Amino acid sequence: MPAPIEELREQLVGLLPRLRRFARAIARNRHDADDLVQIAIERALARSGQLRPDSRLSSWMFGIVRNAWIDEARSRGQRDRIFAPAELGENIGDPAHETQSDMLAVQEAMARLPEEQRITVGLVLVEGVSYKEAAEIMNVPIGTVTSRLARAREALQALLADTTGALR
Amino acid sequence: MKFSDETLMAYADDELDPPTRAAVEAAMAADPELARRVARHKELRNQLRSAFDKVLDEPVPDRLIATARTAPADRRADNVIPLRRKSAPRWSWPQLGSIAASLVVGAILGQLLLRASITGPIIARDGQLLASGALAHALSNQLASDQAQQAPVRLGVSFRSKSGEYCRTFLLRAPSALAGVACRGREEWRVQVLAQSGQAAADGGQYRPAGSALPRLVLQAVDEQIAGEPLDASGEAAARSRDWRH
Repeated sequence: MPAPIEELREQLVGLLPRLRRFARAIARNRHDADDLVQIAIERALARSGQLRPDSRLSSWMFGIVRNAWIDEARSRGQRDRIFAPAELGENIGDPAHETQSDMLAVQEAMARLPEEQRITVGLVLVEGVSYKEAAEIMNVPIGTVTSRLARAREALQALLADTTGALR
Repeated sequence: MKFSDETLMAYADDELDPPTRAAVEAAMAADPELARRVARHKELRNQLRSAFDKVLDEPVPDRLIATARTAPADRRADNVIPLRRKSAPRWSWPQLGSIAASLVVGAILGQLLLRASITGPIIARDGQLLASGALAHALSNQLASDQAQQAPVRLGVSFRSKSGEYCRTFLLRAPSALAGVACRGREEWRVQVLAQSGQAAADGGQYRPAGSALPRLVLQAVDEQIAGEPLDASGEAAARSRDWRH
């Protein structure tokens, strides 16, 4: 019988694809996103005693990813701007370029959102978390979730209409 | 009726209560512009989803898997492990539990008392739940270190509580599949915690380590009440010979 902590580790391994997806929605490139996931996993294990078993593991982890991002973002504002264009370069000569381009357009648009709006979009629209759960993860009232989401959507619709319009 | 953009958005995200939802649908049927606005919200959602879903297809970097498997963990998460003994029965001890006990007990109790005959495993008397019948018999006589595979009651750990009583965890086999903690009173076994166990309480999507036979509630109760270590096989036998009195 595996010890609880070993079970938790395996559940975290199983959650990695989703954590990477969420991180990609809020960080601006793959490298930063994976760094973020790594930091979050380290923090989660170091605090595993605080995991309330009646909460969803995914929600708990999204909260840790979010907090880690906010902490890291404070100290790395400069770096983001330097690394952000690298993602564009990654796709030159990539045969999967076509399928990547819509993701790029979306990421570019996401990158222009204020931090908290981007996190809200990542939770609700990318990860499919309910408004209520998102509010708990971000520790804000539900009304804040809906207003952030409404503003983010408006901005994204405008930005993506531009890009897709230009591409077509 | 006029709807705010936030309401239309919530409709697209399936977050509205049924009456509001129906009202939006009725309004959409009558107003193509409204329907277009909802469609735009849904389209954006799909666009984001399909863009980021590609991440799920990427191989997860080895360094992340290695971190999850080896990064140092909070030692408190392993607190409950010492409860497992060498001769331990097949209980598993997941992490600390915390659900509102009264809710769970209340929900089950209604059901239980309806079903319970006079000889049921648990009876209510003077506002207390007492073990009865086969459960009371097993609590008094059955040793965790020596119990039949198919016994109707399975005992888990026995321990001294902080108030000095002997307490034991038990699991009633299906169909009731109830688990709990009972503590020895003067004559009776008081059931202090009762919860649905195992599959019966599987709550899809919630965090629950696989293979935990005892509900978190029970584990937490043990954790809160136990004074020192659980009894080992000889301690259990000695306690039984004193009829679980100190």
